[in-house]
Amino acid sequence: MHKLLDILASGIHDAKNQLFVAESIIAAAEAAHGIPMGEARYAIESAANRLSRTLTAYHLMRHDAAAAVTPTIVGDVCDEVMLAQKKHLAERGVELNIDCQVFDEWPLDRDLVTDMLNNAVQNAGRFADKAVQVSATTDDGWLCLRVDDDGPGFATLPPAVGTGLMVAERLARLHHRHERQGGLRLSNQGALGGARFELRLP
Amino acid sequence: MTDYSKKRFLVVDDQAQARDALRTVAQQLGAFAVEFASNYQDAIFRIRNNMPDVILCDYVLGDGRSGQQLLEELRRFNLLPDETIFMMVTGEQSYEQVVSAVELIPDDYIIKPFSPDKLLFRLERIVAKKLFFADYYKEKRKQEYANALAILEAARDSEAGRPYRFEILRQRAEVFLASGDVKSAEAAYRSILENYEFPWARAGVARSLQKQNRLQEAREEIDRVVASTPHFFDAGDLKASICMAQGEHAEAQQILDEIAKKTPRNYVRKRLLAEAATLNGDTETALAAMADVIANDTMPGAISAEDRLATARSHINAGDKITAEKVLLGIRDSELQQMPLMEQASFAALLAVSSVERGKIRFAGLRPAMLVTEFNSTTRLDILRAALSLDDHQLADLQSGQLMASPDAKKVFGAARTLYALHGREKDFREIQRQVALLRIKHDEEVAPDSPPAA
Repeated sequence: MHKLLDILASGIHDAKNQLFVAESIIAAAEAAHGIPMGEARYAIESAANRLSRTLTAYHLMRHDAAAAVTPTIVGDVCDEVMLAQKKHLAERGVELNIDCQVFDEWPLDRDLVTDMLNNAVQNAGRFADKAVQVSATTDDGWLCLRVDDDGPGFATLPPAVGTGLMVAERLARLHHRHERQGGLRLSNQGALGGARFELRLP
Repeated sequence: MTDYSKKRFLVVDDQAQARDALRTVAQQLGAFAVEFASNYQDAIFRIRNNMPDVILCDYVLGDGRSGQQLLEELRRFNLLPDETIFMMVTGEQSYEQVVSAVELIPDDYIIKPFSPDKLLFRLERIVAKKLFFADYYKEKRKQEYANALAILEAARDSEAGRPYRFEILRQRAEVFLASGDVKSAEAAYRSILENYEFPWARAGVARSLQKQNRLQEAREEIDRVVASTPHFFDAGDLKASICMAQGEHAEAQQILDEIAKKTPRNYVRKRLLAEAATLNGDTETALAAMADVIANDTMPGAISAEDRLATARSHINAGDKITAEKVLLGIRDSELQQMPLMEQASFAALLAVSSVERGKIRFAGLRPAMLVTEFNSTTRLDILRAALSLDDHQLADLQSGQLMASPDAKKVFGAARTLYALHGREKDFREIQRQVALLRIKHDEEVAPDSPPAA
């Protein structure tokens, strides 16, 4: 019954292993010869993330996706997004800033949430003029993770939904706590004057 | 930042190319000493002989083994000090589901592909956390539980402890459980659940309830965990042991049968399966499981005298006393002398059953101790069986009285009744049961004449 899923999962698993081999060789060459290859590594990691997201989307459409919730340090998630995206955005002349005001652990699916934020930052980076900001705050028992940019904002609201947003919307809703369920809010009232992507987790 | 050039790394992966890639990444952090292990056994050998500072272990190890199993085995043999970093490396997203459910987790896990920067970031976070908990680890290792708890309480209220508040609560519950304060453990796990429905915390509640002998409540809790997270295999083990305590041996065996098929090389689970099958009267499965354990649990010191006693017991159940005798006589004298009294009593009893001639003198020698010592239910059943076959009614009836009065009464009721029936003494068994019940009623009345009856 799960044959198709098994084939997909094992293919993606193998591909990610191969991508890891490629990335490690590039990293070694970078260090040995002092050539900056960050964009090549960024492309490799983006490809791997895209593969993972495809598998997640497939799970979501089969309705058998589940959030793997662990206590997570919110600041660490923000820092990892910074680590993954800062240099790439800088290449385009866009500065990425982090403002994390949450100091306690929060129960969430670390890898899914990090991937959603990475994806949102990538999107914001495409439209931003000079700046993208990731911020984390709490609001009445909700964790609010926001990605703001100083671009023109969404052309329409709600915007046309691609795979990334569809996955983000559904993954947010997989986060349950007591009677509350996570959600996604998109608006043009961002702190930097452009679009705002806001993930609200219970 | 930590100086990784002085740290010893061990990379565990069955694929040569992946090992090279992990070494390359570790070297970018400045790591100088990076050892390889290409399989499970090799990893255990290297860890035993020269404890690394950082273990980077792939989740898929081939040959039916996983990195998670390696982690569990290392903890089982106390081979992994709290100071050592164990990082699971995986291309499988499914590992996240495992980590979010189970009680035994690595320091962290990282999904491939990843950059040296990201590994460095994660390792630094682990180092910071281990530093935060360093004093606690010391007290826990010395089993100074009161001190360990005091450190956690102080940490919980501190500003520096904010990023670790769940970890502090989790460690606190585990210390309560380890120190035997099962009521506090239950309360501690419940307070975690008030925050979030973590499967491991719900399993902790079930474990604490089981230790309080509140079996029905424990069963309800663990049923919830197993239903919501079927890949949390330890929860299945816990459910099976609760089922056994409730006397539901067929269900226990069925649960373990299913999980054991998915984890064919988990020998702790195989032993549990053998126990459930024995209680369920399925001698064939019990024998097969124990044969697998003895042939394949290759960790040095893993096969204990207890395992051989379990095998002999299964042969006796199968009516094959000759093989049982052979298994028992295969235990060396030096080993016998080192056995605790309880295992010596089981050995003497099983030998007396399989060969009266060889066993009865040793059994008689231990009889005075058997009359006065507190043994677990397995040993009591062994003694009961031997005493019945030697027509020692006093000893047999004493053991069955103690068994029926113990929290394990439901677990061993069927087995004890069958043994009495074999010797045509069903009536006597029923009388023992009646006496125990009367005593219990009398005891309850004396202890608490005004309090409401226990649930």
